[in-house]
Amino acid sequence: MSLTSLSATELSTLIKKKEIKAEEIILAYLERIQEREKEISAFITVLEERALFSAKKIDKKKKKGKLAGIPVAIKDNILTKGIRTTCASKILDNYIPPYSATVVKKLEKEDAVIIGKTNLDEFAMGSSTENSAFFPTRNPWDLRRVPGGSSGGSAAAVAAGETAASLGSDTGGSIRQPGAFCGVVGLKPTYGHVSRYGLVAFASSLDQIGPLTRTVEDNALLTQIIAGPDPQDSTISSQPVPDYQKELGKRLASVKAAYLKEKSLEGIDNEVKDSYYQTLRALEETGAELWEMDFPSWEYALACYYIIAPSEASSNLARYDGIRYRFRHPRYSNLKEMYLNTRSEGFGQEVKRRILLGTFALSSGYYDAYYMKAAQARKLICQEFEKAFAKVNFILTPTTPEPAFLIGEKEDPIAMYLSDIFTVTASLAGIPALTLPIGLSKGNLPIGIQIMTNFFQESRIFKLAFLLEKKVKFDNNKLNLHKKEE
Amino acid sequence: MKSKIDLDHICALANLKLTEEDKKLLEPQIIRIVKWINKLEELKIDVKKGELYSFFSFTLPFRKDKIKRSLPAEEALANSPEKSKGFIKAPKVIEEK
Repeated sequence: MSLTSLSATELSTLIKKKEIKAEEIILAYLERIQEREKEISAFITVLEERALFSAKKIDKKKKKGKLAGIPVAIKDNILTKGIRTTCASKILDNYIPPYSATVVKKLEKEDAVIIGKTNLDEFAMGSSTENSAFFPTRNPWDLRRVPGGSSGGSAAAVAAGETAASLGSDTGGSIRQPGAFCGVVGLKPTYGHVSRYGLVAFASSLDQIGPLTRTVEDNALLTQIIAGPDPQDSTISSQPVPDYQKELGKRLASVKAAYLKEKSLEGIDNEVKDSYYQTLRALEETGAELWEMDFPSWEYALACYYIIAPSEASSNLARYDGIRYRFRHPRYSNLKEMYLNTRSEGFGQEVKRRILLGTFALSSGYYDAYYMKAAQARKLICQEFEKAFAKVNFILTPTTPEPAFLIGEKEDPIAMYLSDIFTVTASLAGIPALTLPIGLSKGNLPIGIQIMTNFFQESRIFKLAFLLEKKVKFDNNKLNLHKKEE
Repeated sequence: MKSKIDLDHICALANLKLTEEDKKLLEPQIIRIVKWINKLEELKIDVKKGELYSFFSFTLPFRKDKIKRSLPAEEALANSPEKSKGFIKAPKVIEEK
């Protein structure tokens, strides 16, 4: 048995029973990182010394937290005090945050060990992690392919056994799509369930932090710890957080799930479709009621998203002006030129593309035609969900239209944007959604199903995912991903 | 929807300067993306303006307006590329003629 093939929950049990030390766990993972990182490049920063120091400190503690000794990797757009946080952008290359995000503080309070900072598409803008200003991350299942994005580093690190769990952020699918591509479980919680304090803002009305893990139980455990009220986030719910892990064992009463008509899956990869319908049949066998449903507004969701998200981004990214965040272009003769040179040199192409698109949508004469129209479409999508949830308690879709694509395959930005076709709707509506691996394609690439439910019903999502996980028996140790290579 | 795009004007608003090469690549892409999002035009929607931004599923919380300790100035300024006497230093905003 290798330590890096165990789940966070299993490791936590061993720690509780005093059968293993935090230091041993961290050493095993650091060794694993050393073995795999050359090929995968999931991390921007590996915190070797800091992680070992924390582990030793935890081993000495009498009363240990719920995540004692569990290595967690953090997406590099989530602030970590005193640790370089880059957003995979040149403009934040040397930025050292003076404080940690609330989620990081919560994890460390429970004695989790932050093992490193993971790669992403610059400022979380992208679906492949190819937009990182530093290097692309590779999919552990097939090194020629992308891990998805923008939380590609976080998903790949979990899949390759380089960490037991990780945090990602999701604005339009950035946890769920890489989760599906890498065969791991990823949750985008309800908007307002997890504090955004210390998450570098991309699109503030959509951004949420969530965990990527190997099992549903691990995901429930991490969500339970990172969720809940935070006085430093004014858009968070004051609802208390249920004990998600404990709830998993309870019976899931009456499952009524909506699924998509075959017609709405036109153009979707056949193997993805087959796995999706196969999983639906397995669910039906458990006594669940399935309803075929149509969501006409979804056709407009991507267009709506690509107005709202860039608009918010153009405003949020205005702060990178060469005055406060380390990087300033060395050549300028006045303030305006300093702004222009710093931003033009510091931002990569996709970020520029989105800033320009957002600036256009918000500019005088176009605001009503674009931003207002998109806000209306968003409302329509919300209303459609509301109507659906009056009849059913879950909506199931494939997570992605196809399994992981090749590095360099999608040069056309629109083709790349289409990757998020199934995930953006939950982001726009603010409802929770989870991706669960359900099978492998003939080419050995993971396929995921997306489970959506109503606001703050994470407990129900976890229970259904837990049930399906047992049914589909996805083996993420296949291809010896986590085993030590001979 | 109008979709004529004056990229130079948008760049000026966004404080971005594009090289000729960037412009050659980005301009047709942005025009295509805008055409693509013009799809929304087909959508007939009747949503009142006042309801547009109320998509929160919960009441936003308030907290007491209490003064708390904030970051020490030194730490808050640590990331600034240029500072002087406890302040961030930036190029002159108003230039002499």
